[in-house]
Amino acid sequence: MATLNLKNIKKVYPHSGDQKKAKKKAGEPEKKVNLQVTDEGVVAVQEFSLDIADKEFIVLVGPSGCGKSTTLRMVAGLEEISGGELYIDGKLMNDVEPKNRDIAMVFQSYALYPHMTVYENMAFPLKLRKTPKDEIDKRVKEAAEILDITQYLDRKPKALSGGQRQRVAIGRAIVREPKVLLMDEPLSNLDAKLRNQMRAEIIKLRQKINTTFIYVTHDQTEAMTLGDRIVIMKDGFIQQIGTPQEVFDHPANLFVAGFIGMPQMNFFNAKLLCEGGRYSVSVGGCTVELSEEKQKNLAAHSAGAQDITLGVRPSHMVLAKEAGNTLAATVEVSEMMGSEVHFHANAEGKDVVVIVPTMNAEGEHIESFRAGDQLNLTFSGNVCHVFDKDGKNLEF
Amino acid sequence: MSEPNTALKKPVSVKKVILRLLLYFVVLDVCIITLYPYFAMLCTALKSRAEIFSPNGTVLPITALWSNFIDIWSRAPMARYMLNSVLIAGGSTIIAMLCGIPAAYALARMKFKGQTAFLGVIIVSQMFAPVVLLIGIYKVMLSMGLTDSILGLIFINAAFNQAFTVWLLRGTFMGISAEMEQAATIDGCTRVQSMMKVLLPVAAPGIVTTLIFIFINAWNEYTVALCLISTDGFKPLTVGINTFNGYNIIEWQYLFAASIFAIIPVVILFMCIEKNLVSGLASGGVKG
Repeated sequence: MATLNLKNIKKVYPHSGDQKKAKKKAGEPEKKVNLQVTDEGVVAVQEFSLDIADKEFIVLVGPSGCGKSTTLRMVAGLEEISGGELYIDGKLMNDVEPKNRDIAMVFQSYALYPHMTVYENMAFPLKLRKTPKDEIDKRVKEAAEILDITQYLDRKPKALSGGQRQRVAIGRAIVREPKVLLMDEPLSNLDAKLRNQMRAEIIKLRQKINTTFIYVTHDQTEAMTLGDRIVIMKDGFIQQIGTPQEVFDHPANLFVAGFIGMPQMNFFNAKLLCEGGRYSVSVGGCTVELSEEKQKNLAAHSAGAQDITLGVRPSHMVLAKEAGNTLAATVEVSEMMGSEVHFHANAEGKDVVVIVPTMNAEGEHIESFRAGDQLNLTFSGNVCHVFDKDGKNLEF
Repeated sequence: MSEPNTALKKPVSVKKVILRLLLYFVVLDVCIITLYPYFAMLCTALKSRAEIFSPNGTVLPITALWSNFIDIWSRAPMARYMLNSVLIAGGSTIIAMLCGIPAAYALARMKFKGQTAFLGVIIVSQMFAPVVLLIGIYKVMLSMGLTDSILGLIFINAAFNQAFTVWLLRGTFMGISAEMEQAATIDGCTRVQSMMKVLLPVAAPGIVTTLIFIFINAWNEYTVALCLISTDGFKPLTVGINTFNGYNIIEWQYLFAASIFAIIPVVILFMCIEKNLVSGLASGGVKG
C-alpha cells in the first residue's frame, strides 16, 4: 500500500559513440523513430507526471516504443531517472536502490530462477530479508494457495506451463507484501485463452491483496478491464489519463480515439458548422447537430467553424432505412462474428467499420448485406468526436 | 485376405544404402586415423625394449608387459610430476576463472566506452602462439623471480587462457536473460549477490565447461614449462615424461606408458564436458 507521485519524469538514453558519428554525418536529424532526439540523446519518456493513489490499479498502455516499460523500470529502479522526481509514500526515490524501494515486479519473461524450486523461488525475497523460516513457510503457502499453485511447490520452473510459471512469478512478487506491485506485460507470453483466464485471476488477486498496482500492457482490452485509471502513452508522452470509460467516451486526441476501442474508431474528413451558436457536423450528405453537452464544451473552447476529423465508433454507426440525411457507403467485406456482423465499407473515400447485430430483441434475423451493397449510415450527435487538424479533441 | 501394409515397410532406395555405406566408411577411416596413434602408443607401452627394436616386430606385443606401467613410478618421480601438473593446471584454472568471470560479466552486462576495442584486444591476444612470446615471458618471469617455479607457470597458464575464458563466459552470460538478475535486485539482492546467487548457478554448465577446458589446456602445456623449469622437482608431467627420452637411450615403452597416464585425466574430463562444450560454444554465438 502506497501512494506514488511521478513529477515531470524524463528518461534520456545518451548517444553511443557510433550514433554521434552518424548524427554528424547525417546533419543532425531532429527525430528518430518518432522519439525526440536531443544533444543529450534519445528522449524515451518526458513530461511524465502522475499521482497514484493508495491501492489504485494504474495501467500504462501504448504501442511498442512509447516509453511505458521504461517508465515502469524507472519506478522499479532498474533505469536511472534522467529528470524529474519519483516519490513513494512521500519519500524521494530517485537514487534509492531497487531493493530498498519496497516494490515487487512481475516480468513478461517470468524471470524465475531456474535452479530453484517454486517454493525456493517464492521464498527467495523473504530469505534475503532474513525473515524467520516458519514465517517464510507460512507466507509462501498462503500465496501459493491464493494462486492455486500449492501442488507445484516442489517443482522446478522448467516443469511448469507458461500460465503456471506466471502464477509463480506473481507469487514471488506478492509473498513479501510490497508497497507497490509492478507488472510488465505479464500476460504477453500466454496464449489467448490463458491470457483471458489470467486476466480474471489478476482481477481476483487485486481484491485479495492490499497493494498499489502499476501494470504495463500494449493490449487495450487488458487496460480497459484491469485499470482503475489508464495512462495512454505515445512517443514518450502521456496522451491521456482517465478511467477506462472516460478515455473511451472522451478521447483527448485522434491517437487515443484510434487506440482505444475495438474495432478502431472510424474517422472522416468533415466540417464543423456553427450557425446561430449551434454546432453541427457535416460529412458527405449528412449533417448532424451535436448534443447539448458537446455544444457547451465547444462553446466553452470558442471553437469556430472549421475543417475537422470526425470520429464515430463502429458500434455507434446506425443503418438508416432510407437515404436522406445519411452517409452513403459501399460494403467491401463482411465479417460474421456470431451475435453481430462487422461490415467493412467505403464511405467518403475512407474505410469504415459498421457493427450490426445479427438478431433483434425478438430473435428475428436482421437483413444482411453482401459486398457491393449500398448502406445508408447515420449517427447521433452525442456519440461523435470532433478533432481539429492537429488531432486534438475540440471539446478539451 | 488383407493387403500387406506397404506404408509401414517403405523400401529403402539403393542410393540411400550406398550413401550410408560411404558415410560409415569415411567415419571408420577418420576413427582409425585418429585413434591409431593411441593404439600404437598402448601397444608400445606393453612391449619390452628388445621387442620394440626387434626387426621382426609386430604391432601387437607378443607378451604384454603390464609391469612397464609400474616401473615408470620408480624410474622417474612420476607422482611429483603429476602433483606439479595438478597444481599448475588447478591453480591457473582458479586464477583464470576468478579474473575471467567478473570480466565476462562486465562485458556481457555493462556498456562502457571502448568495449568493442577491448573485446578486439582480447581476441588479438589469443592469436599469438606461446613460442612467439617466449622470450618476453622469460624476461618478465625473470624480473619477477618466477622462473623455475610452479607459481610462474600458474600465472602464465592463467594468462594464456584468459581470453578464451572471457569470450566463452561472456557468451554464456549473454545467453542468460538479464531480467533474472533484475528480478533478483528487486527481490533484495545487491549486484554482486544477484551475480552470485542467480547468474552463476544458472550459468553453471557454461562455467564448468570453461573450467575443464582451461584445466585441460594448462595440463597439456609443454613449451613454456620446458623453457622455464629446470629443477626436476618443479617439472609438470608433460616435461617430466621427457626423462625417459635420454641423451643416449630412448625408453619408448616407459615414455608411452607415462604418456598414457598423462592423458587419462584429460580424457575423463573431456568426456564429462563433451556435451556441455558444444552447447557452451554455441551459446556464445546466438543470443538466447
